[in-house]
Amino acid sequence: MTNRIRKTAAATAGACALSLAVSVPASAESAAQEDGKASVSVFHGVPGLTVDVFANGNELLPDFKPGTLTEPQPLDPGTYDIKIFPDGEGPDGTPAIQKSVDVPAGANATLAAHLDAQGNPTLTAFVNDTSEVPAGQARLTVRHVAAAPAVDVRAGGKPIVRDLTNPHEKSLEVPAGTVNADVVLAGTDTVAIGPADLDLAEGTSTVVYAWGSAKDKNLALKTQTIGGMNSAPNGVDAGESGAMASDNESATAWLAWSAAGAVAVAGLLAARRMRARGD
Amino acid sequence: MRSSTGAGRPPAAAVGAAAVVAVVLAALLVWSLRPSGTSVPSDFGTRPRAQEPVTGVSSGVLDDASGEGKTSGPASEPTALRVPRVSLEARVQDVGVRNDGTVEVPDDAEQAGWYRFGPAPGASAGSAVLIGHVDDRTGDLGAFAKLYGVRKGDAVTVARGDATPVRYEVTAREVVDKDRLPDDVFRRHGRPVLTLITCAPPYDREHGGYQRNLLVYAVPAG
Repeated sequence: MTNRIRKTAAATAGACALSLAVSVPASAESAAQEDGKASVSVFHGVPGLTVDVFANGNELLPDFKPGTLTEPQPLDPGTYDIKIFPDGEGPDGTPAIQKSVDVPAGANATLAAHLDAQGNPTLTAFVNDTSEVPAGQARLTVRHVAAAPAVDVRAGGKPIVRDLTNPHEKSLEVPAGTVNADVVLAGTDTVAIGPADLDLAEGTSTVVYAWGSAKDKNLALKTQTIGGMNSAPNGVDAGESGAMASDNESATAWLAWSAAGAVAVAGLLAARRMRARGD
Repeated sequence: MRSSTGAGRPPAAAVGAAAVVAVVLAALLVWSLRPSGTSVPSDFGTRPRAQEPVTGVSSGVLDDASGEGKTSGPASEPTALRVPRVSLEARVQDVGVRNDGTVEVPDDAEQAGWYRFGPAPGASAGSAVLIGHVDDRTGDLGAFAKLYGVRKGDAVTVARGDATPVRYEVTAREVVDKDRLPDDVFRRHGRPVLTLITCAPPYDREHGGYQRNLLVYAVPAG
């Protein structure tokens, strides 16, 4: 039974993943994606630089301050020429960051303006995984967008993500709950950021950005929460002994056996009678 | 000599009687050996939907439209369940999921579990789920066995930790295969409903025990 449930669950999960990939993610932001639009939020992870963000020449975000994460906005799918200027210098000056970003239809994405490992401003588009998580679980994604070497992420002192480098991410599903997390230099116990409590709510995805600069000693964590990825549990096994079923079972069995007994007695009597008649 | 040949050929009436008895016996045996399902109570009412079917909007939109109030602060946790007409009384503890992905059920068959990842009774949206054993390991019936006796219109009360009790009225009951629980049972959006779940026959020890779930639905009492 357990095996069967697992298989069914796996098949269901597979089917969901497929449909999510081609159509509408079951996220809370899905309204924006009904018509194929992408849902895009922007994270500013370049310390000390207030900026204006332009997309295809139009100002998308004015006075955007470091450490800020925008609410998701609906965006038409396509390729965007993103230019990020120091506050008030756009759109005709020299951008601090310029990059062409491909936004797929229906995607849930986060654009992160951040430092690369060497400390130069750059832009990375991350696609947020909004596929369902199993009941009781939460998704945790860690993104390394800091001017810092490779890191490990620990939960309760135990590494859960190893050797993560800028600008990469790692994702895992963990039991829902609060974890005490910190970021250490890869393979060491040298704490670079934290510790911090992360509230990983069931059926949600928590994205943690490690940002800032190790050299400038302003490394920090920023979290983004995306909801609506909850799924139903595999079932409810709410019985033990079969007492509720066995009332009838035992009654019919008793009937059957007493009938068998009656037949045996009748047969015995008949045989005796015949023998008596024969004698 | 004649008598011995007579004993070898029983009278036609005796053969006929034996045949009848054999047929009855066979029928009884077949009846007793088939999975018992005769004590499953009948369904009534219709399962409360997230929305009236008339709206016909895709679920993605429904999620958004009605999901507004679902995370509005921590809801008060349920502490006790009562269905007075069938003398059902159970203390309620919160439960999560087991490693196999099924819902935890309190070991004590006299207690009910509230599925804490879903809405709480009294929440403005979604299906608040309470679960209880129909029987325990010793063969005694559990508190939720009384659900076999509920009727449409029965009053249900859920007491809460730091809020007034929530009152419901039973509107429907159904029995489903336990690997085919309706998606609606664990929905977190749409019209509020209280869903009570226990197990139902047939019981098959070789295949994980009870094969079906009994579901009772109650809507907030006006």
